Amino acid sequence: MTKLTGFLPPALARPFAALGGLLFLVAAMLPWATFLLNDGAFPDKATLQFFDAPFELTGYRWHLLLFGALVLIATFVPTPGKARVLRAFGWGGLAISVISAIFIAGKGGGIGAITSADGNFALGPIVGALGGIALILSAGAMPLPDIPQWPTKIFARMGPRGRGLAWLILLVAFAAVLYLVSLTLTAGGIGGAAFPYAGPIFLAFLGFAGGLVGALHGMGVTGWIARLSEEYRAFSIIVLLLCAFALPFTDAGSQYWMQVAATIGVYAATAIGLNIVVGLAGLLDLGYVAFLGIGAFVAANLSGAAASTVGWNVPFPVAALISAAVAGAFGAVVGSPTLRVRGDYLAIVTLAFGEIFYRTALNNIGDLTGGSNAIPGIPAIEMFGKPFNEPITFLGTDLPSGVLYYFLIVLVVAAVMAVFANLKNSRIGRAWIAIREDEDAARAMGIATGRAKILAFMCGATLAGLAGAIFAHKLGSASADSFKFLESVTLLAAVILGGMGTIPGAVLGASLLFVLPEKLREFEDYRLLVFGLALVFIMRFRPQGLVPDRVRRAEFAGETAEGKPIEEVQEQAVLEQELELEREHEAPSGPKEAGR
Amino acid sequence: MGTLLQQIANGIVLGATIGLIALGYTMVYGIIQLINFAHGEVFMVGAFGGLAVYRWVLPAAWQEMWYVALPLMLLGGVIVAVVIAVLMERFAYRPLRNAPRLAPLITALGVSVALQEAVRLWFPDADAAQPFPRVFVDAEINLGPVEISASELLLIVVSIGLSVLLQTYVSQSRMGRAMRATSQDRDTARLMGVNPDRVIVLTFILGAALAGVAGVLYGSNITNIDNSIGFQNGIFAFTAAVLGGIGSLRGAVIGAFIIGLIKSLGGQYLPGGTQYDYVWIFVVLILVLVFRPQGLFGDVERVRA
Repeated sequence: MTKLTGFLPPALARPFAALGGLLFLVAAMLPWATFLLNDGAFPDKATLQFFDAPFELTGYRWHLLLFGALVLIATFVPTPGKARVLRAFGWGGLAISVISAIFIAGKGGGIGAITSADGNFALGPIVGALGGIALILSAGAMPLPDIPQWPTKIFARMGPRGRGLAWLILLVAFAAVLYLVSLTLTAGGIGGAAFPYAGPIFLAFLGFAGGLVGALHGMGVTGWIARLSEEYRAFSIIVLLLCAFALPFTDAGSQYWMQVAATIGVYAATAIGLNIVVGLAGLLDLGYVAFLGIGAFVAANLSGAAASTVGWNVPFPVAALISAAVAGAFGAVVGSPTLRVRGDYLAIVTLAFGEIFYRTALNNIGDLTGGSNAIPGIPAIEMFGKPFNEPITFLGTDLPSGVLYYFLIVLVVAAVMAVFANLKNSRIGRAWIAIREDEDAARAMGIATGRAKILAFMCGATLAGLAGAIFAHKLGSASADSFKFLESVTLLAAVILGGMGTIPGAVLGASLLFVLPEKLREFEDYRLLVFGLALVFIMRFRPQGLVPDRVRRAEFAGETAEGKPIEEVQEQAVLEQELELEREHEAPSGPKEAGR
Repeated sequence: MGTLLQQIANGIVLGATIGLIALGYTMVYGIIQLINFAHGEVFMVGAFGGLAVYRWVLPAAWQEMWYVALPLMLLGGVIVAVVIAVLMERFAYRPLRNAPRLAPLITALGVSVALQEAVRLWFPDADAAQPFPRVFVDAEINLGPVEISASELLLIVVSIGLSVLLQTYVSQSRMGRAMRATSQDRDTARLMGVNPDRVIVLTFILGAALAGVAGVLYGSNITNIDNSIGFQNGIFAFTAAVLGGIGSLRGAVIGAFIIGLIKSLGGQYLPGGTQYDYVWIFVVLILVLVFRPQGLFGDVERVRA
């Protein structure tokens, strides 16, 4: 990406930006495939059918049209963070075009499908991709601005009316997030044979959403909202929770998506727990899924399932607490080697613990895990006389089965987030971050590093155990195969992809890693391959993740919190220092002493 | 008594396989302090490379003549393993050489998963275990109460022979001296006219070649392979390398034999039987890392724990 910078002379930046926007507009209007694909029209009338209803633009072409219009506006109207905005739109549009091009060409039989065949022309994908490239080049030719820092204090100064305004802004923002999540979940349908185009539509939608969010980020809007919600914290938390609870009432409220969302919730809670260990304390844990497993098996044994040998049936909240406590105790055991072992050796120790757990669970140790038969038939959670796997009617709306699990998971994830956020800003959280940055220095500053590290493992494991209890009930069975090494790697990947040490990062990472396979069923065989390669590429090109922690970002990517390359900032500092020195030479000692 | 001796023999055979892989681990770690998690997959890919040569390159008449078939299969396995390892070093690890230490480890995990999946997807029928021909002479040798097959004997001989050869190469040759210099201090080595990039690539090549040999011999000994053999044996080998003192060639081989013995004897005599033999190895791994991270032969100050 750095090579693209300065490829164009600055004078051409604006014409190229305008060109890119125009190309997007044109591409949206062009047909995208020269003939009807075998599985039916490519969604949203990408084939020549389009001309039957020329003014109906839907789906990704509508997104591209929107991008084109926004790019033209951003080019000619002074926009904060212009180069960043254009760059985001460029990559988003490029993604939409390339994904659709690959899919149409792959499914429809070759390059002819996206150029010309049978006397028809369909240059949409190519024009769109060219537009994206033009935009990226143009953004590279402009000076990269700082991400604007919009003021947030003005609302407080305006008194009660200002607060109302701030609340309104936050409400709109969170509603938009809810809408985006719902759209993302439903984009392209479920995936699999019945929805042949689910994969490409979903990926193209991700391109659109990514471009849009990236542009907003470049303008400083997302950062502003984040700081604003920080300022009105209680209100934001309530609204966010309400939004999460509102998801079943949107288009995404089908039984299928509620199930998926609940599963994502379980993994998100686990990922946040892992984030304490890896993101905050900087201890790489390669066997983390074992704690999820311990929680699941404990809950399974206490659930009254026929296969459980403990024969002790307790209500779910108690079982969940016991699961969490047991997992936490194991966390302390696994964490104890941290007293002597560091770095990648520690990673290997945790891997060994994870494998020991998997092997012993597979061998049905103490008749507690059911071995290869697993523990089947775990009854659904029952609280307030209502089994959680039944549909309910709420506020006159019929909600599908599984929605209660979703609500429960939302509460748990919210609780886990609260724990994480408070820990991060607490004394122990700062100790963890200090250990992550430099363990010896942290110890020299008086931090009891051993205790802090074991505590990190315990906290993470407790959260995972809690998630595991829900996991077992929701799934209805607990099997050693759900807790393999690969699952640990997946969780780790979720944390890294999202961004180490941040809450939205862990949630986003878990969502992506568990929604994508659902959407891309037809490529299910390639899931792990892509996953492995993705790990390699993330580490190579964006090791700080999608939502980087401010400190992490500086460390991993060489950028400051404002998104400026660190080298530049350092050069700037050196230059300023030199200037200062020169000034001192010119005006000898007098003023300096006066300054003191 | 007979069982004990037989299990010891089994352990030594396993140790011979692990030793060849462990050498690659220990060399790479010694030079760039990277736990090359994907090294086990290099072994696996080598085994599949040998199988590919047998299936699609060798004419039917040559398949019967082990003195033709085996060297060619070894060559095939080694070439495939080396190519994969060099690509891996060049495109996955080299760009991360100055990154924080966890980044290359995570990359290595990714490479490992990707290689396993690539073999499963693209090697014909490799989504199930594949039969591997017993290329070498199919004979049993009786040594009193112990019975050992010719292939197993070959594995032991080749393993020890190659280890000695490697040890000699590293301690005697000019390039070996460059390797040792690079592992001690890369920057100073560069000042002394050593090209660290070349040395590192050579290290990967040597390790991969040994893993390739191990893969082919392992296949012809066990007579069936699948895409997960790399992960298992890779973990064993890593444990062996740590046990012997990571960075030490002699330690890796001795550690491998110890691990082999622990697995076979633990499976025989410890509670739980063979189902738990893996567990003992991981327990040993944890104990060694916690209580003697420098291993049996490692230098104390070289350990970056």
